[in-house]
Amino acid sequence: MTEEAVIIDVGIDGEILAVDHGNAKAIVVSEGPVIASSHQRTFLTYIVLPIAFLAVALFGGMRLGSSDNAFIFIKPALICLVFASVLMVILLRSRLIDIGGWFSEDFSTLKNAANGAVLLTLFAASAQLFNSLLPEKGLPFWVVGFCFTWTLWNDLFAEFDPKRLLRSLGALFAMAFVTKYLILANLTAPESSGWLQRFFDNPAKEAFTWLLDLPRYSAGTGYIQFFAAIIYLIGLYLTPHTTKK
Amino acid sequence: MNTRYIHISAILITLAGLTLISFLYWTEPKTLAEVTIKGSVAIGTYAVDRSAFEQGLASFRKDDFPDARVAFDRADPEKRDAATQFYIAYSYYRQGWGRLSSDDTLFKPGLDAANRVMTIEPNYRSSDGTLAMKTPAELKNELEEGLKITPSDFNPMKLTRERK
Repeated sequence: MTEEAVIIDVGIDGEILAVDHGNAKAIVVSEGPVIASSHQRTFLTYIVLPIAFLAVALFGGMRLGSSDNAFIFIKPALICLVFASVLMVILLRSRLIDIGGWFSEDFSTLKNAANGAVLLTLFAASAQLFNSLLPEKGLPFWVVGFCFTWTLWNDLFAEFDPKRLLRSLGALFAMAFVTKYLILANLTAPESSGWLQRFFDNPAKEAFTWLLDLPRYSAGTGYIQFFAAIIYLIGLYLTPHTTKK
Repeated sequence: MNTRYIHISAILITLAGLTLISFLYWTEPKTLAEVTIKGSVAIGTYAVDRSAFEQGLASFRKDDFPDARVAFDRADPEKRDAATQFYIAYSYYRQGWGRLSSDDTLFKPGLDAANRVMTIEPNYRSSDGTLAMKTPAELKNELEEGLKITPSDFNPMKLTRERK
């Protein structure tokens, strides 16, 4: 920059954007913020997202025992893997994830592998989220499972844009969460010494627990699953459409 | 940070995370302490807690079998040590043994423990001189005999037999 040059535009981060050279004004093409933004995006895609999705995959199948708060790790049912696969197809069809922007011959092998790893964590998190939201057994499992099947099957053939898909998934997961962790959990009788005592203490709840084959978990389970669902949706929202620069 | 390193980190984070998750769902630990124990089993550094084992042995020699089993369980929470499991089986035998009849509720878990010893170390032989039965096979036979009702159970000479 010469001595006559006067700064006429400064970016919010202090970056010089334009200078006045007297007769001619010049736009300074600075790569600083662009590089910083690109680095942030890379960091978000390859570090934050896998950690978030892995956290969902870890906590999605975790429950706490009602009597002693012991960890209970429930492996995902086969149907959860099917639902997760269908969801991945929906994410691709709605172009929330552009497959050409994630895997390309133009990318290095390392980048393709890293992208594959990120999508693998997304798949694992999806499977575990369904594991989290689907009741474990009995009539509720079949009813909620049918609702998931119906919704995902419809979504598979619907025309979505990414925003609408995210809203739709948010609503679907919120409804499933309310059903399992608020309605069904409140119909479950608490654990106590014997079934006769439980029946006298809470006859209606005990009847529902027996009829619907509801598992007894500690209240902490709902909190864990709430955060798992929230982290998943935030992760999905932050997932870039493409990793091309 | 170089983009190449970030890509490598993503792959490593994914591999490490999925390994950890698979491990947790496979081993199903119930507490954070169990996570550590099962982790040590997985990486081959699991060892019996010697002080708890010695406590169990002291209680065993004093015929305080319930306390002995508590200490042995603490010493070998993963039930992987043949010697500890042998003493557990033996404690059930000694506690459940009776001159007229044996206690089935104690002999059954004793039999399970003896079977565990045979699974862990089929050729296990105790070096404890105070024990009359040295191998899990002998102990198993004694426990099985105690669980059965046979004509020999009504033999009055049984009253003269001694606990091993």
